[in-house]
Amino acid sequence: MYAGPIQDLIDELAQLPGIGPKSAQRVAFHLLKATPSDARRLAESIIEVKDKVRLCRRCFNVADRELCEYCRDARRDPTAICVVQEPPDIVAIERTREYRGLYHVLQGAISPIEGIGPAELRTAELLERLKTIPPSSPQDGQETNGLGSGSNDPDANVEEVIIATNPNIEGEATAMYLARLISPLGILVTRLASGLPVGGDLEYADEVTLGRAFEGRRRMSG
Amino acid sequence: MHVAQLRLTDFRNYESETAELSPTVNLIIGANAQGKTNLLEAVHCLGGLGSPRAPDSALVRDGAERAVLHGRVVRDERRIRVDLELRPGRGARALLNGAPLPGTRSLGEVVVTVFFGPDDLLVVKGSPEGRRRFIDDLVVKLRPARYALRREWERVLKQRNALLKTARRAEARGVNETLEVWDDAFCRAGAALTAARLASLALLAPYVAKRYEAVAGGGRLELSYASEWLEPAPSDGALQRLGAIDEASIQGVLANRVRELRVREIERGMSLIGPQRDDLVVRLASGGGSGPLLDARVYASQGDQRTSALALKLAEHDLLTETLGMSPVLLLDDVFSELDGARRRWLADTVRDMGQTVFTSAEPGTLEGTDPDRIIAVRAGRLEAHG
Repeated sequence: MYAGPIQDLIDELAQLPGIGPKSAQRVAFHLLKATPSDARRLAESIIEVKDKVRLCRRCFNVADRELCEYCRDARRDPTAICVVQEPPDIVAIERTREYRGLYHVLQGAISPIEGIGPAELRTAELLERLKTIPPSSPQDGQETNGLGSGSNDPDANVEEVIIATNPNIEGEATAMYLARLISPLGILVTRLASGLPVGGDLEYADEVTLGRAFEGRRRMSG
Repeated sequence: MHVAQLRLTDFRNYESETAELSPTVNLIIGANAQGKTNLLEAVHCLGGLGSPRAPDSALVRDGAERAVLHGRVVRDERRIRVDLELRPGRGARALLNGAPLPGTRSLGEVVVTVFFGPDDLLVVKGSPEGRRRFIDDLVVKLRPARYALRREWERVLKQRNALLKTARRAEARGVNETLEVWDDAFCRAGAALTAARLASLALLAPYVAKRYEAVAGGGRLELSYASEWLEPAPSDGALQRLGAIDEASIQGVLANRVRELRVREIERGMSLIGPQRDDLVVRLASGGGSGPLLDARVYASQGDQRTSALALKLAEHDLLTETLGMSPVLLLDDVFSELDGARRRWLADTVRDMGQTVFTSAEPGTLEGTDPDRIIAVRAGRLEAHG
């Protein structure tokens, strides 16, 4: 145990994900050696992120305004919504430059062990977006380039919901739940394919992955 | 296949030791608590399945940061280098001929062992959990890629039980919709595991019968799979037929039963049927095999229970030899002292034809007829070779 402030800092750091007591101690002593301005900058960016960043009112991605950058962007295809678990998933998908539609962030996946059910996720809000009755017009009309009101609401004509939850047990259960929830609305629901990693070795693929790859095989000819 | 050399660094009570092993019969000898079993355990770990008796964290020598095993393995006349590093809290890493493997489980493609210790002697009379572990280990050894299947099943079961536990509570909203989703996952993973178990048991059954007859000098042993939900009832010894049932129909049967039990499962707050409650049943007929087949767990003498356990393990070795086209390393931990004279002599004789065998003993007096080609003496974590 250390005296006063340093131990407080170690205890706080150790609360962070992926940081154990040893790492917390290392970070704390690193910060102790840092210049006052470096330390202040770090402290300020932590405060700023809490002050300025909020969740997009429509898709629950992180945003610095009422709507996130994708919901504001008139060039995005409003007929497709890609459902992900967390905001970093959007960053990963955007890196591919394959997808031009909108997003919806669930803020997690169904996991009874952790006490997370549909009510703890943004599922009701997703359903609300999909219903043909447009949601109430947003306040920040000019930010949405005039697309955010009345029958022009981008979410009024969703044709496809792409479920991009993680390919693990919780992600699959969430996907299955959403598919059941959305199907009565007559909207196409698709799921990202899971299978063999590109550049991988078939020989080392596990049975579950290989089984999925077989299920999702594509026709090549004939 | 055999392990020619094994170097242990900070593994259990070994600081840095090298064991040279014979491709035939090896004896590890020493007083109690010197490290005999630890050496067997190290050989077992080379197969990537962890220790048969402890979590990885227990395998690192006190005060050390990691345990490292370097194995030289000979398989199909090829020399293969296997390196395994166990780092508590940070997982394990495996190298094959110096190249990293995607996971330690992949070592199962190279090194296969059958471990038989005092706990395994009790498998027939012990808890169903021990017998299920025996089947599930066999399922994975026959096809290492099935490990993911087993993991998925365990995770789904845990999630579904967690949901059922909260299902009665008032604050649990939307339980019914999510329960259906978990039912689907439960039935799919449960059927896949059950199909793999039945297929593996169907392959194992004839070998067990043969080994039992040999070690018991007569009598009859039959394996069956006990399950409350599987149809047709598997109690008629129809494993061969069961092994042929396809996964889709197993899934259908399980799904029907799960639907029927919905209310009761919510009341009880747990999954009431499924592979997690099934059991392997060993039945024996005494009197030269002409008597009725009786459940060995309830009716057999302790000697007969041990004989059946021995038959199960040797049959596992036979089946793996046949399926993989090579003999797994047979690891016998303190087994000889637990057997009577006749069975001891029979086993000593039998292992000579079973490829590489490593066995431990604290009592040289119980080893008549074993005639090992190499003897390694263990004393306080130090090895000393003889012969």
